[in-house]
Amino acid sequence: MSKKKGLYIYTGDGISEVIDIDKLVELASGDLGVDVVKTHDDLYSPSGVEMVKKDIESEELQAVIIAGVSPRIEYKQFDFPGIIVERVNLREFVVWSNPTPGEGDDAEKFKEHVQELAEDYIRMAVAKVDKAQLPDPYKPETVNQRILVIGGGVTGLTAALEAAEVGHEVTIIEREPQLGGFAAKLRKQIPVGPDYSSLIDPIVGDLIAKVQANDKITVKTSTEVARIAGVPGEYRVSLKEAGTKSEWDAPVPLTDEEKVDENGKELSAEELHKKYEEKNEGRRHYMEVDPNAEIYGAVVVASGWKPYIPKEGEYPHLAWGNPNVITNVQYEELAKAGKIKRPSDGKEVKSVAFIQSPGGKEDDADFPYASAVTSLVALKQAKYLREDQPEDGKAYVIYQHMRTPGQYEYFYKGIQDDPGIFLTKGAVTEVKDNGSGGLTVYVENTILGDDISIDVDLVVLATGMVPTTKDEAVINLAYRQGPSFKDLDLFGGYCDSNFICFPYETRRTGIYAAGGVHRSMTIEEAMEDAAGAALKAIQCLVAAEEGHAVHPRTWDFDYPDFYFQRCTQCKRCTEECPFGALDDDEKGTPKPNPTRCRRCGTCMGACPERIIGFKDYNIDIVGSMIKAIEVPDDDDEKLRMIIFACENDAYPALDMAASKGLSWSRLPRIIPVRCLGSVNVAWIKDAMSSGMDGCLLLGCKFGDDYQCHFIKGSELCNRRMENVAETLNSLGMEPERVKLEQVAIDDYDRVPQIINDFVEEIIGLGPNPFKGW
Amino acid sequence: MADFKKVEPDLSFIRGVMDSGGETVNRCYQCATCSVVCPLSNPDRPFPRKEMLWAQWGLASKVSGDVDVWLCHQCGDCTAYCPRGARPGDVLAGIRNNAIKYYASPKGLADIMSRPTGVVAIIIFFILVVLGEIFLLGHPFIPKGEVDYEKVLTVLPIDAVFMPLAIFVVIVALKGVFEFWHDISAGAKLPQSYTGTYPRPKLGDLICDYGWKSIIEILKHDRFKKCGQTAERAKGHLWLLWSFIILFFVTNYVFIGADIFGMHVPLSMFHPVKILANIGAVMLIAGVLMVKAMRDQKTKEGVLSSATPDWILIYLILAVGVTGLGAEILRLLNIAVIAYPVYYLHLGCVAALFLAVPYTKFGHLVYRTTAYIFQRWSDEIRAGRNGFAKKMTLDH
Repeated sequence: MSKKKGLYIYTGDGISEVIDIDKLVELASGDLGVDVVKTHDDLYSPSGVEMVKKDIESEELQAVIIAGVSPRIEYKQFDFPGIIVERVNLREFVVWSNPTPGEGDDAEKFKEHVQELAEDYIRMAVAKVDKAQLPDPYKPETVNQRILVIGGGVTGLTAALEAAEVGHEVTIIEREPQLGGFAAKLRKQIPVGPDYSSLIDPIVGDLIAKVQANDKITVKTSTEVARIAGVPGEYRVSLKEAGTKSEWDAPVPLTDEEKVDENGKELSAEELHKKYEEKNEGRRHYMEVDPNAEIYGAVVVASGWKPYIPKEGEYPHLAWGNPNVITNVQYEELAKAGKIKRPSDGKEVKSVAFIQSPGGKEDDADFPYASAVTSLVALKQAKYLREDQPEDGKAYVIYQHMRTPGQYEYFYKGIQDDPGIFLTKGAVTEVKDNGSGGLTVYVENTILGDDISIDVDLVVLATGMVPTTKDEAVINLAYRQGPSFKDLDLFGGYCDSNFICFPYETRRTGIYAAGGVHRSMTIEEAMEDAAGAALKAIQCLVAAEEGHAVHPRTWDFDYPDFYFQRCTQCKRCTEECPFGALDDDEKGTPKPNPTRCRRCGTCMGACPERIIGFKDYNIDIVGSMIKAIEVPDDDDEKLRMIIFACENDAYPALDMAASKGLSWSRLPRIIPVRCLGSVNVAWIKDAMSSGMDGCLLLGCKFGDDYQCHFIKGSELCNRRMENVAETLNSLGMEPERVKLEQVAIDDYDRVPQIINDFVEEIIGLGPNPFKGW
Repeated sequence: MADFKKVEPDLSFIRGVMDSGGETVNRCYQCATCSVVCPLSNPDRPFPRKEMLWAQWGLASKVSGDVDVWLCHQCGDCTAYCPRGARPGDVLAGIRNNAIKYYASPKGLADIMSRPTGVVAIIIFFILVVLGEIFLLGHPFIPKGEVDYEKVLTVLPIDAVFMPLAIFVVIVALKGVFEFWHDISAGAKLPQSYTGTYPRPKLGDLICDYGWKSIIEILKHDRFKKCGQTAERAKGHLWLLWSFIILFFVTNYVFIGADIFGMHVPLSMFHPVKILANIGAVMLIAGVLMVKAMRDQKTKEGVLSSATPDWILIYLILAVGVTGLGAEILRLLNIAVIAYPVYYLHLGCVAALFLAVPYTKFGHLVYRTTAYIFQRWSDEIRAGRNGFAKKMTLDH
């Protein structure tokens, strides 16, 4: 479908010196049939924008192609409602990355190659706008504004207060019979504000009072989630009394191990169904609607943490098992009860050793699930002893790491000021009963300069905070992919999708984590975290209302469209969606939930029937772009490759490389993709069948240290490449022609080499044997 | 198996350090900036980082037996650069004050001398002793006629008090020095003999090789002048040192001349020794005022803070100088009513200053000199140029 379109070529920044603009204009207005073609040497200035605007009005343009700088910059100009706008990256990908002919390059040939590169990018843009459509946002009929907070500790209370303060109704559910969580069990707490130098009384009482006084907040104690069904904006939450079973408990899908018989053979569909039914006996189907469910728009998970309790026989060198060797949580209980007394005989404790790291000389790591909090807690608890025994109490903190980030440095300083608190870095190699009721702690490699031994009444281990999400589903989602968050073992059980890039997002849109489930944190940090998660939950409701995606594609008003008539119920999309956006019916036909979707396109990449697509990003559009590239039939010097570059990391890395004047081969053409997960094998077939010689996929790192914005995209793509290799083999083509490389956003110095190496390899393989067919 | 040292922090020691100038000791978090910026620190055994931690842990014997604290002249470079306001320079001063107490015996006297009221009591005590002597001799406290201090007390009864006092002071100080020497030998990890003793220099070597060189260095204040933030303080201190040397000389001249050879005192104003004595007295007052002025200024600049022991010593020296010179001037002016009381006060102050040597900050005179000598000696030992090994080669 040809649209009435305009092409506007920016000639500044050296573009006109490298590219023959006249030829480009001739191509566009001639062969490509672009209705209006203009150039401007300052296109992004108000005069340039005005020129385009005038044309849109006077020429009734439907689409505009801006050929100039990278689409990642100057993106705010040329935003015209109702007009499809496509940007061509002439400056970075054609001009800056090809400043001068390389060594041994023929100047004429260089010019020719660069010109062809620019022309191809224009062709691809024209092909794209001809196929693209404007988005038609999905807007649910109702978006419920209530927010459910799971957990009534400091985090949950704060999240509820923050959300209520901006007008949202909130329900807090708490498993225990009373609010407060762990913070209510403290003698004193680490400060939450200036001057940070000393312990303060627990603030949780104030929070509880504020919550109880707030008429927008409902509190349900001794309550748990049986299931959360539905979508952001309309979650149907079935609640139950804590510790009980309910027919509305979320069903749990079979694990990979359960899907095979004892010989490792895959079970038949019927057997699977039977096994699933057995596993979930007494539970309603996940798609069934609980008429009594409460409706919420979004969820904040603040279910907190559980203390790590070493197993019996763990840490024998620290005398774990001796009644006078306890964890920091047990010590807190002793301190809360009154003057600290020795568990073995009830004698008032005069000296305590706080051991921060269990590894002796071999390993300086702190206890599992420990962090800065355990350092701060040790300092706090050392002070308890000094409060109890101001004259002669002695508290020793033996650390490998004293972590007191940010303002807590003042806390460290304040605690240190007490003459009865002794700190040293050192390796605790042994703790022994000293025969007189106490213990002797042996410490090597201290900064005191000696190996020392200390006699104490009590030894406290700085054990960590285990997130509740480690062993429990917590959210109990009635989703096709199961009730819990996915792959939390990547983060040690912490409820997290990417701590650095998306601190609050989980892999379930509409559900945001805060506090101890997120990482071990202090009360102050948990409160800040709670505010963040509450804001995220509210943002999600707004996104649902307005019909755009949540982070990281908040500008995107489009959503995936399914052509169900051709669906074969293969379930790839439902299983591969990183966000569990797709449910299904009895037959396995996917049921999209657009408000759960983050628009990564992984479903589109997965679909073998090619029935999933977006208005401006689908199989046909990208296929057309590939086919628009001119592939010379008989010129061995002009092999052609396609590069699918992830627009989140690889594409910016390429931009950066170009802006630093780094060059790469002029043979490949780059197509940005939302995520490698969205790359459908059809595109690779398109490229090969149109005579291209190779295909390179540049995506984010995957695996344990994944950097993928959509968590699984590059990993899934990599898995699909195995099938591609098979297909190529069957066609008699070398599987090396298609390659996936992992590129981080800061790999700009590496990425030209990656491309050049790939091009060299393809040149070595020779042209595509199907060229010209 | 590692050699574990049992550690039992001494809380009273920590409080002692905190009360005598080192109240910031606990702020240290061991970054070692102090040891890096210190112009006097030894690259092999840098200070004051380790001393800060030992003091935090109340390791009294370890800190007291550490020679390095005495190599510090409290220039304040560490204090100026400390990122945490732990003021290592001031802490080391506090540690030194406590070390003096640690080696003093009886400790009770050190406690008395560490308080201004205690020092005043000591002064009054000696005034009463002097007045008692006068009473026993049947002399009037303020005789008629021309002022002449011989009328109330001749040199002999004065020496009857001061000689035993001086001997007592020397014995206490020597005891302290010997213990100190043993502890710093252990602290410096010098090689031990099988009986547990540490090598000692021969007396001849001690004086000729180590003592002499150290004293020359002290007389020139070479190290003090290296101090960054407070190098200016060296001048007043140098004046003070030289005035003490002059006054030591003239006092002994008079003591020997009068007691043994029956020389008439007071000497004529034009006697060379008297001239020297007056120069010494003026230098003493000028020197101590300069020290006080610099201390005030450096306190204002924030690189140094002063604790009670500092002020006790400064005011005691000032009192000795002012009463001494005052007694002389009042004698020349012949104002008996004031002259005699000032003279008695002077005697009391001098006695207190004597006692100050082993019991107060004044002890740095003894311990720092010892530390200087020890440092030269232990460097030789470590380099294998002296000690047991050398002795053995000589024997064979």
